[in-house]
Amino acid sequence: MKKRKFGLAMSLILASGTLLAACGGGDDKDTGSDNGKKAEKIGMVTDAGTIDDKSFNQGTWEGIKKAEEELGIQSKYLKPAGTTEAEYLKEMGNLYDAGYKFIVTPGFKFETAVFKAQDKYKDAKFVILDGNPHSGDNKPVVKENTVAVFFAEHESGFLAGVAAALELKEGEAGFIGGMEIPAVQKFNWGFQQGVKYANDNLGTNLTLKAENVLYQGSFDNVAAGGQIAAQMYDRGVDVIFTAAGGVGVGAINEAKTRGKAGEKVWIVGVDSDQYEDGKYEGDKSIILTSAMKKLDNVTFDLIKRELDGDFPGGETLVFDAKNDGVGLPAENPNLSDDTVTKAQEVFEKIKSGEIKVASEQGSLFK
Amino acid sequence: MRNTIVSLISIILGLIAGGLLMLFIGASPIEGYTYLFQGALKNISRIGDTLATATPLIFTGLAVAFAFRTGLFNIGAAGQMLIGGLCATAVGLTFDLSRPILLLAMIAAGILGGGLWAFIPGYFKARFNVHEVVSTIMMNWIAYWTVYYTVPAYFKGGTETESQLISETASLKTPVLSEMFQGSYINLGIFLAIIAVIIIAFIINKTTLGFELKAVGFNRHAAEYAGMKVNRNIILSMIISGALAGLGGVALYTGNASSIQIGILPSQGYDGIAVALLGANSPVGVFFAALLFGILYSGTGFMNAMIEIPPELANTIIAIIIYFAATSVLIHRVLNKFRKTRSNANDVNGPVGKKGEA
Repeated sequence: MKKRKFGLAMSLILASGTLLAACGGGDDKDTGSDNGKKAEKIGMVTDAGTIDDKSFNQGTWEGIKKAEEELGIQSKYLKPAGTTEAEYLKEMGNLYDAGYKFIVTPGFKFETAVFKAQDKYKDAKFVILDGNPHSGDNKPVVKENTVAVFFAEHESGFLAGVAAALELKEGEAGFIGGMEIPAVQKFNWGFQQGVKYANDNLGTNLTLKAENVLYQGSFDNVAAGGQIAAQMYDRGVDVIFTAAGGVGVGAINEAKTRGKAGEKVWIVGVDSDQYEDGKYEGDKSIILTSAMKKLDNVTFDLIKRELDGDFPGGETLVFDAKNDGVGLPAENPNLSDDTVTKAQEVFEKIKSGEIKVASEQGSLFK
Repeated sequence: MRNTIVSLISIILGLIAGGLLMLFIGASPIEGYTYLFQGALKNISRIGDTLATATPLIFTGLAVAFAFRTGLFNIGAAGQMLIGGLCATAVGLTFDLSRPILLLAMIAAGILGGGLWAFIPGYFKARFNVHEVVSTIMMNWIAYWTVYYTVPAYFKGGTETESQLISETASLKTPVLSEMFQGSYINLGIFLAIIAVIIIAFIINKTTLGFELKAVGFNRHAAEYAGMKVNRNIILSMIISGALAGLGGVALYTGNASSIQIGILPSQGYDGIAVALLGANSPVGVFFAALLFGILYSGTGFMNAMIEIPPELANTIIAIIIYFAATSVLIHRVLNKFRKTRSNANDVNGPVGKKGEA
């Protein structure tokens, strides 16, 4: 049975190999017409999960790809065999030895690996997203060749909560998280505050029960995501905010199935604009809106600054509403104009500091 | 001897198949393999990394091979590794002893943890005839969630998903080795692995216990008829197998890594099956098979970085090599068939020839 599955997988891979080979040919031509100009080599090491995780890895990689198109860099990502520091370091070493001396690492799991790498490879540059290099004691040490990047996920979650409440007016909301880690928790807490804000100030009545706020425990269990979403919808939840990578993909699939069957259910996407992922029956999408964390923009900007000789080495950057690092997508086909305007007003208020979103749990669920 | 030849044939077939795939995607196989082996063996630090990568595989390979000798298919090496690693990490984080005693205690904890995790499926198999494939896989997930709960609850480190880092006294890494291999993450685990290979080879080949275990593996009923305690042997075999996998966890989490992570089943557990197959279930064979896997896994990244292929395909190439390498059973069959048809042909030709003569 296993072998048969493997065989199937094999033939699929071979088939996709043909397609990819075609793409590869195209790439060769591109580099050939580069007029001999030496392209900067930008490398990335993926976190747990695949490059098309619709989330962290993908967002980062899209930024690098954009830089490849617009700035003519050369790029490569490596997928470590596991998620230990040793395996991360090994892939960073491989990139370094192959001449990729600007290495982007998405995820707090890279913290200790980047801490070691920044000393080991002094002439390479490192970007760590959602984390701070440290030796295991949580005391951040950002060397001259490293930039640490954080996002204000709670502000993004807040906006999504407000938008969801405004659009639905009344109903029930739920939250599915991946692992219970700070970035995901902040999305959750922000979302809860956003819903509450809208209920208190904007005349909506979207309820959020403690039983409908939960963390699945991984970022890759698609099936579990679908099951949890199904349970929530069966309990009468109308909109689920997912901050869970692959688990969220499962929830989206479940929602799509229900959407096709005529049920009125929604998902609020995360990290990138997931509208396209939620499409069913032509141009309908079950993605209400997405709580974005603009990984791609940030990655692109940092690469651009490196090329301009302006790499902010040694700094810890925080991206929030103020510098447009987080927010809702520019286009929200499923939101009414009224919702969009009001959400925009709230966004401005966060920007100006009039609304403060807490990044701590406080009295919130989970 | 025959086993060695079969294994070598499967490796060569694997390399050829991988090479074909490289050709297929427009990369040069010679270049690809050069980078693959360079990546694994180019300098002393990379050699160290390769050996360290191979270490947990030696243990899991031994674990699977040992159970297989008793006719048991231990798919639970991943879970046993996790528990072994968890126990060792727990000891390493909790007790403040002198280094040799602490390391010994951690190793003992790893052996106990892994052994316990395999004892349960072994007991169920012996007592209720529950198939070990099913129960070991289920135990994998119990281990997964046990770690998921225990680590953040009792050993929470800098982040939610990892334990605290173990101190240098509790690590299998030693400065001497690290310096000798220029900053590689090679550690004492490799010596433990070599010792384990020798001990297991001795148990299988030279002891009554090994003989009995093998007898149970060949034919459970015959062994029972011969007066052997089949049930006891099944449990014992699983415990030893689990203990080996547990040691693999010790090597992985307190040697190669210095913390244990939640939410992940170590892939080495399943790779152990392929290692055992390629190594023809003999301890020495397993050792070399694991080294080959170590080379493949270590070299992939470098190969990937140097030639223009997407990482998924680099992993596919490795998977193809492994797949073919693990089909040694098939090659055995083909060889047998070949021999049979040849002898059949002789049989057929024989009388015909005689007739002709007559």
